[in-house]
Amino acid sequence: MKSFFDAIGNLFKKPVTTEFPVQQTYIPDDYRGLIVFEESLCIWCRKCEMACPPGAIVFSQDIETGKQEYHYSPYVCIYCKECVRACPAPGALLQSSEPGHPGLKEENLNNGWNKLFDESLESRAAYAAEKKRKQAEQKAATDKAKAEAAAEAAKQNPEQPIE
Amino acid sequence: MTRIETSFETLKNDVAAFYKMDKHHFITMNGVDLGNDEIEYQWFFCDYEYPCAETMFVAKANANVMVPSIREVVEPAWVAEAELSDLMGVEIENADKGFMLDVDSDEAPLRKKKK
Amino acid sequence: MATQYNIPVGAQHIALLEPLHFKFTTENEKIMKAEANVGYVHRGIEQACCSKFKFRQVSFVVGRVCGLCSISHTTCYSQVAEKLMQLDISKKAKYLRMLVIELDRIHSHLLCLSHVAENSGFEALFMKTMAYREFSMELLEAVCGNRIQYDFSIVGGVTRDLRPDVAKMVLEKLKIFKPQLDELVDIYSNNYTLGLKNKGVGVIAKDDVYRLSAVGPFARAAGIPIDVRNETEDTLPWKEAGFEVVTETTGDVYARNLVRLKELYVSMRIIENVINGLPEGDLAVDFKGFPSGEAINRLEAPRGELFYYAKGNKTQILERLKIKAPTFSNVAAMVHGFHDNEYASAPAIIGSYDPCLSCTSR
Ligand code: SF4
Ligand code: SF4
Repeated sequence: MKSFFDAIGNLFKKPVTTEFPVQQTYIPDDYRGLIVFEESLCIWCRKCEMACPPGAIVFSQDIETGKQEYHYSPYVCIYCKECVRACPAPGALLQSSEPGHPGLKEENLNNGWNKLFDESLESRAAYAAEKKRKQAEQKAATDKAKAEAAAEAAKQNPEQPIE
Repeated sequence: MTRIETSFETLKNDVAAFYKMDKHHFITMNGVDLGNDEIEYQWFFCDYEYPCAETMFVAKANANVMVPSIREVVEPAWVAEAELSDLMGVEIENADKGFMLDVDSDEAPLRKKKK
Repeated sequence: MATQYNIPVGAQHIALLEPLHFKFTTENEKIMKAEANVGYVHRGIEQACCSKFKFRQVSFVVGRVCGLCSISHTTCYSQVAEKLMQLDISKKAKYLRMLVIELDRIHSHLLCLSHVAENSGFEALFMKTMAYREFSMELLEAVCGNRIQYDFSIVGGVTRDLRPDVAKMVLEKLKIFKPQLDELVDIYSNNYTLGLKNKGVGVIAKDDVYRLSAVGPFARAAGIPIDVRNETEDTLPWKEAGFEVVTETTGDVYARNLVRLKELYVSMRIIENVINGLPEGDLAVDFKGFPSGEAINRLEAPRGELFYYAKGNKTQILERLKIKAPTFSNVAAMVHGFHDNEYASAPAIIGSYDPCLSCTSR
């Protein structure tokens, strides 16, 4: 019976819900939000990429210059801050308190990110292969130059045998 | 944790000799794929009394060998056995198939893939 | 013999929170037999943890096993990984873990209680309990930065510190909650209509708990003081923080409600003690190397004993990780508890089981 009267009494109480768009809900000021990247401080060690559990960070590399580029998917990120903890350069990565935005279908979030991720890994592999090829080329060129120089030297003083 | 090595032949007797309903509770049964179709089976128990030590029965066997069930002694073991037989793709005595996995899912997901 | 009917409940049903299937065999209104199917949401998390993710990342993956007790899973995994690595974590990290686990217990128990009320047909009490529960969600958000997935424990410690203003806020809100909890205890224990639906219903007696190895509030409601917080001191110092085990005797829905309610007082006491006695120290320890050997760990989640087994092989990726969730242990007891009850009581009984199927089938 008591709960019956309580229930009637509840009719005259202030509602416990908040009127959302008018009145903001509670958000703590160190809310976990999106990750912010500061390019000038980064030392390009890729530790953040290795630490990130869902794979929301990936670096691609330019095949000509070797310049790395940072990619981040706010939709894959789980705001766990592992990347910030792993980063050896203070300030290169920061967690802001800005909440993530809802994704749109047009942005092709999942497939687009997966494609970008794979392409970035490929670009790095391609850069590594290219670097190897260039090194090999350079080595061949210097070897050739050396051999020519030696042959030249041998021509000038034919008495000495070539070792 | 106490580790007790046993084998399939002696498992039921060992567990029956150890398990007292009001002294221990059964935690779960587990399997670890050691490679080459060798599987290590583990049964975990825990005491009710402080300091609540855990006991683990271990038996190794080939994956094709039928695993004996301990549910005559430990009644709730059927849940863990049914789960393990699905996930490991092993035969366990009297275990129902299809408890954890659907008909069209991958078979034995927890086994190592053959190279 | 009267005619027997088979009544399926689930996998989708309004009385169920999660995909769970029961098949009841009834005679007139009495349930003679029940069968359960719990494997609807198998996601292969164990397999992912030992093939795709590095062992430091796994603590974030296992948090996704369950939304309600995500902190229990992350902490339990972190502890088992620390055992593999033989790490000693600071006392401060231990205290902060206890704080979040207990806050989580408050919100999980209140959720369960509200669903018992709803499934018993007491909609107003459901609303009331849910309204009172909101403070715990806000506190978790303030402490962890996330409302649901806390990601608070990592291998080696915790991720965030407790700011003094947040600590003050926690204590204040607990003070507001205390009279509200008294009110809830009064309603759940003395309300006449709720008593009709809950007293003597869904009994799992002491013998059955022993026979079926049930854990958590199931066992405590039947009078067995089994609680991992009471059992191990090496991972978290529960007794130091003022833990006491709560038991009831009858083992019915009513007793399970009361166990959960009284545990909230214990949780509140632990939280207060943790905040008042928070030691200084590091949040997380640094370590190098890879896990090897095998280890097990148990932790008291809101629904009972959570068990992890891990085996390392000196690489980044674990060899095997086994998760045994509390509801998984209770499946056998759950099926038994319906026996000889009216079919109309089934929703309340299911609510009082507080089943967590995402944990069970992972
Ligand atoms: S916050 Fe976590 S998920 Fe997001 S980018 Fe950093 S490591 Fe990855
Ligand atoms: S860890 Fe830090 S320094 Fe290294 S690549 Fe990432 S952002 Fe740059």
